[in-house]
Amino acid sequence: MQVISRYFSRRALLSAVVLAVPLLVLAAATGGAAPATKLVFMNFCFYLIAVLGLNAYSGNTGILSFGHVGFVALAAQISATLTMPPALKASSLPLLPEFLHNSQMGLFGASAVTLVCIALIAAVVAIPICRLNGATATIATLGFLIVVNSVIIGAQGITRGSQAMFGIPALVTVPIAAGFVVVALVLCRLHKDSIPGLFARCGRENEAAAFACGIDVRIARYWAFVFSAIVCGAAGIVLAHSVTVFSARSLFLEMMFAQIVMLVVGGIGSVTGALVGTATITLLTEILRRLENGFHVFGLAVPQIFGLTTIGLSLAILVVLYWRREGLAGTREIEDFLGRISGRKAPAAPMRTPSPTEAVAVPVRRATGALTLVDVSKAYGGLLAVDKVSLTVNPGEVLGLIGPNGSGKTTLLGCIAGTHPVSSGTIRLGGETISGLPAFAVARHGIARTFQTIRLFSRLTVLQNVKAAMAQHRRSAGQRELDGASMDLLREMGIETLAGRAAGTLAYGQQRRLEVARALASEPTFLLLDEPAAGMNEAETADLLATLRRLVTERGIGLIIVDHDMHLIVNLCERIAVLNKGELLKVGKPLDVTRDAAVREAYLGRRSAANV
Amino acid sequence: MEFFLQQFINAMALGGTYALIAIGLAMIFSVMNLINFAHGELMTIGGYVLFFLLVMGMPFGAALLLSLVAAALAAVAMELVAFRPFRNADIVTMLLTSFAVSSILHVLFQNFIGVRPKAIAVPPAISGALTFGTFNVGVVPLISILASVVSVVALVLFLRTTHVGVAMRAAAQDFRTTQLMGINANAVILAAFAISGLLAGVAGALWIFQRGAVDPVMGVMPLLKAFIAVVVGGLGSLPGAAVGGLLLGTLEVFLRAYLPEGLLPFRDAISLSLVIGIFTFYPHGLFGDADAVR
Repeated sequence: MQVISRYFSRRALLSAVVLAVPLLVLAAATGGAAPATKLVFMNFCFYLIAVLGLNAYSGNTGILSFGHVGFVALAAQISATLTMPPALKASSLPLLPEFLHNSQMGLFGASAVTLVCIALIAAVVAIPICRLNGATATIATLGFLIVVNSVIIGAQGITRGSQAMFGIPALVTVPIAAGFVVVALVLCRLHKDSIPGLFARCGRENEAAAFACGIDVRIARYWAFVFSAIVCGAAGIVLAHSVTVFSARSLFLEMMFAQIVMLVVGGIGSVTGALVGTATITLLTEILRRLENGFHVFGLAVPQIFGLTTIGLSLAILVVLYWRREGLAGTREIEDFLGRISGRKAPAAPMRTPSPTEAVAVPVRRATGALTLVDVSKAYGGLLAVDKVSLTVNPGEVLGLIGPNGSGKTTLLGCIAGTHPVSSGTIRLGGETISGLPAFAVARHGIARTFQTIRLFSRLTVLQNVKAAMAQHRRSAGQRELDGASMDLLREMGIETLAGRAAGTLAYGQQRRLEVARALASEPTFLLLDEPAAGMNEAETADLLATLRRLVTERGIGLIIVDHDMHLIVNLCERIAVLNKGELLKVGKPLDVTRDAAVREAYLGRRSAANV
Repeated sequence: MEFFLQQFINAMALGGTYALIAIGLAMIFSVMNLINFAHGELMTIGGYVLFFLLVMGMPFGAALLLSLVAAALAAVAMELVAFRPFRNADIVTMLLTSFAVSSILHVLFQNFIGVRPKAIAVPPAISGALTFGTFNVGVVPLISILASVVSVVALVLFLRTTHVGVAMRAAAQDFRTTQLMGINANAVILAAFAISGLLAGVAGALWIFQRGAVDPVMGVMPLLKAFIAVVVGGLGSLPGAAVGGLLLGTLEVFLRAYLPEGLLPFRDAISLSLVIGIFTFYPHGLFGDADAVR
């Protein structure tokens, strides 16, 4: 039950249902209309499913995919092959294997087989794709689309090659198309709010921060890719069995462009936006298509224009990109808009903690022990940023890490956190070696961190920021329990009233607090803080000091703090380690360190140090 | 052996053409993070200018030279009209902008010039073949290799010795700092577009020598291939783009030469799949770097 709740939330279901209602009304209205109108509606359904599918990947991961039309094409091809009558197959697809020749399946059997095939193909394609970032991933998906297209054209005999596939039975009717759309709508909306969907969105907002929370962004992208491919596959099935004719050429770059325009116009990252964008662009293309063969305006005859729809789509996307870059809906959903209209804020989060009787999932147990650095070095080319640093930090201890600018403090934190692979030396936590592990694996061992420049999941809510880190740590906790525990943590940090706000809209001090809260959500044994007081005023620093003290005493967390605020460091830390030019200059009690001649010299230069 | 040598020359010729397109793309990407989908249309524009100048009776050499200039000017015009309003936008926004520009140009070519290919009479000196004993080799592949090498050498010299070239290299490393050093951003970007347009013009001419015609969507396929070449080399890296282009061209030619008959229709699929598979091991491309995290 708990596990299911990681994939299901009532709010998401309601949101999808609200969106489905106008679609069903439209479907009912189309029921008695002319065949041409029905075809327009089914074409709209096809595009909507395809755009929902694309959004499930691109919207959640932030990586634009050019390749999803490839899945549409594959699914159309496979499903049509399965449902075509044997007599027609014998003449138009002569090279098909025997068992496919003599069989004919119904829509649902064929759909099931097709979607399994698509899932398997996507599972292979996603292996390289999920490792890539940004534009590289986008172009790689484009490569996939070209591969699919040339395979379908090349496999003439098994396919129709570059000619049209025809004679597909018209098994998809208006109600069936509407049914496909509603299922896709519900699944995509649930996926967005599910824990895997949340992880993917964390990767979209800030990859490094997601890794630091222990989230393996690549895995999140992988599943988003496979899921979205299946949805696009469903679109292909609808297309093949409603239009009943298609060619490989028609399922290539032009369709890809139309699909992306719909996504971008609606707003990448919003299921509501997918609906709005698809509806807007379908309407626009229907109008333009009618004008394409020439028309009269104010008595002036405009001749036939090739590609008027293409121009229309291009201009639509340029207009949207220029004036409203995030699209019509942005990343918001229907409930956010409805909430605004009715004058109250969108429901922030359930304000409840799990009752004691409720089963609370037990977090992963970790080996506890000292954090030990042995001869850790980090070289950038010829420059040794960290030079043979050996250091031990005990659980529950507070260690200050200071040094002049460029002395290697942040690099050393990066080495511990796994963002900077060490050049030599080892880092151990208890008995386990953690150097050499990727950042997310280090985080899962119980080492959390904050960043010198704040890295939040800006467009996610404050609650979601904490919830994501917590969901990664408590593998069997359901959404309700995670919401409750996240609220508790926000309350502890004094930012619970901000739970429903987007993290990027918070004031600087609040953002710092949220970053600490998110780091705590994974219940770390060690917390690395990189200049937590930078840019804060005195009152905020004092506040932070009190919070950090409380953390250490209540939770027994070991802290490593990098900061230039000597007041904060001396007051908080039991020991101070001084770095200079990458080397560990001195480790000791605060007073011993601040009085040390070598330390003063490192900071102030030899002559000034002598005069202090 | 002779067959292999012939194929090797073909591979270098095709790879060199891809490399020229890829270098142009990488150049624009490195200074302004734009993946220019409309780059292929620069090839087409060059091709059409060549066609119309030849129809007007201009000698082939002069027409060719002017077509290169036209491609460079078209690139500059593209930047001024379409891309400047989106300066500093995110990668996806600019990529979609360029895609829209490319689509609009396709439609314009189709409506104002025509859907059908326009034949270009390539002089027999270019379209012929040279014979060394028993060894036959086409002139076009040799010209392609020569043009690619000359273009790359000229580009390297330009980037290393001229003021604008050094500014462009600096801008590729860190655009904002370069601007703070008093370098005129617009000048650098315009120069980058002009050069990338010139390279596209050269690549377009080589492409036309092979096919003997120019049509509205001529630039699409080579451009798509060059995209793959660029990302495999590592986005933004010029040597990476060149290597990626050569790699893809070589794969394609040798697959065409050595694949069994039944698999020949799938040569593009196979070569692209192999190249995309490289990402499994080099997620940042062959010459790309991971971003630093602070």
